Amino acid sequence: MTQPDLSAYPPPEAGPELRREAEWQRLDPRMLLVHPIREVIRFLPVLVVFVLARTAAGGEQWQLLGVAFPIALGLLRYLTTSFRIAAGRIELRRGLLNRHVLSTPVDRVRTVDLTSSPIHRLLGLTKLRIGTGTASTSDEDRIDLDGLPLDRARALREELLHTSTTDDEVATAAPERDVVTFDPAWVRFAPLTGSGVVIGAAALGAASQLLQAVGFFERLSPEQLDVPGVSLVLLIPLLVLAFVVLISLLSIGGYVVTNWGFRLTRTRSATWHLTRGLFTTRETTLDDDRVAGVTLSEPLGLRLARGARLSAIVTGLDKSQQGSSALVPPAPRTVVERAAREVLDTPVPVDTPLVAHGPLAARRRWTRALLPALVPAVACVVAVLLGEPSWLLAGLVTLPVAALLARDRVRSLGHALAAGHVVARSGSVVRRRRILEVDHVIGWNFQSTWFQRRAGLATLVATTAGGNQAVAVLDVPEDEAVRVAGAALPELIGQFTGTSR
Amino acid sequence: MDSPPALREPSQRVSPRARLMWTVEALAQAVVLAIVPVVLVGPVDVLDIPWWAWVLLGLVLAAYVAVVPRWRYLVHRWEVTDTAVYTQTGWWTRERRIAPMSRIQTVDHVEGALSRLFGLATVTVTTASAAGALAIAGLDKDVARRLVDELTIKADAVEGDAT
Repeated sequence: MTQPDLSAYPPPEAGPELRREAEWQRLDPRMLLVHPIREVIRFLPVLVVFVLARTAAGGEQWQLLGVAFPIALGLLRYLTTSFRIAAGRIELRRGLLNRHVLSTPVDRVRTVDLTSSPIHRLLGLTKLRIGTGTASTSDEDRIDLDGLPLDRARALREELLHTSTTDDEVATAAPERDVVTFDPAWVRFAPLTGSGVVIGAAALGAASQLLQAVGFFERLSPEQLDVPGVSLVLLIPLLVLAFVVLISLLSIGGYVVTNWGFRLTRTRSATWHLTRGLFTTRETTLDDDRVAGVTLSEPLGLRLARGARLSAIVTGLDKSQQGSSALVPPAPRTVVERAAREVLDTPVPVDTPLVAHGPLAARRRWTRALLPALVPAVACVVAVLLGEPSWLLAGLVTLPVAALLARDRVRSLGHALAAGHVVARSGSVVRRRRILEVDHVIGWNFQSTWFQRRAGLATLVATTAGGNQAVAVLDVPEDEAVRVAGAALPELIGQFTGTSR
Repeated sequence: MDSPPALREPSQRVSPRARLMWTVEALAQAVVLAIVPVVLVGPVDVLDIPWWAWVLLGLVLAAYVAVVPRWRYLVHRWEVTDTAVYTQTGWWTRERRIAPMSRIQTVDHVEGALSRLFGLATVTVTTASAAGALAIAGLDKDVARRLVDELTIKADAVEGDAT
């Protein structure tokens, strides 16, 4: 890795954008339109009060002030923000009272995101966010160039990422091509994901709060519900159905808003490029070197509908920044697998059959699922025997549910070491196949509780610098754990095996 | 490799004084745990505990203080080679961690209030992964010092940028 010579920056081969950016300059003047609109929206509650006050007091100046203030604020923001890219650093100055100067070396740039809200899009602008993998999550510390013309932002992105990659072969790589493109039929997967249901339920919860606030439920009485010709027995399933339909519609809405027009593209400079969004469009770029692996997740609902979703394990992006590591939204499994093969640059880790973990690992799945389920089941039986109403026996349903869960978990469990990748799969409610490139494995952890040791099992954990920071192979036989770890990093593990134990 | 040899334990034990330190620690935890029901039954008087529960609690806490520090001492081991650090920690859950020298980012030397009483120290080795920090607790202070120096030199000598 060669350090760029900072004194002669920008280097002669730097693109036109980087050279143009060397002087302090403002963002696009069209932001003068965006800021006031945004400020007006932010000050909307205050403005409403102003308007009400005007009708009460009759003063015309008040009204003027209410509009002038947001506009002045927007103007100030525009005038006090400037940036430059010089001497190998990106610098951003902003703030009127608190002057902020943010600065980062160009070769630290890991991701470049373009986000365009509807107002931005109307004016042909975009917000360029530079990600350096910093641990800070404060908005103050983000390098956002809010308001650049779209094509200029794209050119700048290309050059920033090009400078940060040190490979020379990059420029000669294959032409740009789409790997995954959005299909409107995918929205059928939206209600089947946990997040879709959560979004729907949250919206519904907010609505019921509102109804509660206006006293809807107090006025609701069973007599009123007694619609002639429709019995209560029929009404309850109908209400449940309506609830399900409503949540489905809301989650579909959420899916469409975030993922409409989704496209995963392989760019010429060997980066991965994601575009999506219905109103606000987002363009995310991931550097290939930083993609340590992928996670193929199948929540139960998605799995039953033969769907899945894909996210990348990105070095330097941790859990809190997972938004920029999603690779494919809930989509058909075949599409997701194809994308995974492309991103990993090899089909083997996705398709290879997994090694099962044996009967002892299976027994652990059964005991761990059944024992917790046994407690409420036994409690219900005892309660009924003590004279409680017999419908409590419905609590026994936990047992078959737990059994199904255990059986599915046993089936999910598996691992493999193939084509330079560690593959681990586990889980039932959310089944995940994690694939991590061996080059990105930092070290190995072997965890085993007393129970696990008695069964000769261990949980093998590959630590890495991205995503969840680790990929765990659950309850693998001890000697197989050592074999996998040793096969992946032979010199590292080899020196600690043998002789006594 | 048909049947690979099993992973052996790391070669070095921690200082025997660590047993005493962990006993004091366990004793403190047991006292705190015992105070809660004593206060609830005594001054606050919201709880009534039968005599056999007291006996049971006492036995469990006594066993915890007597057994766990020794168990911990038997498990805690470490080893440093030219290319790797290998630790084994825990008691009920045993955790073995192996990290290559080339991936070491920082080496911390910490002497807590309690460990200073016993002349002990903890050496923590971190890597770029938040899940991969290796901590060796209960080291003799001088051993820990030497270990930090050794690790620093070795980590420096290995090629790579630790990511």
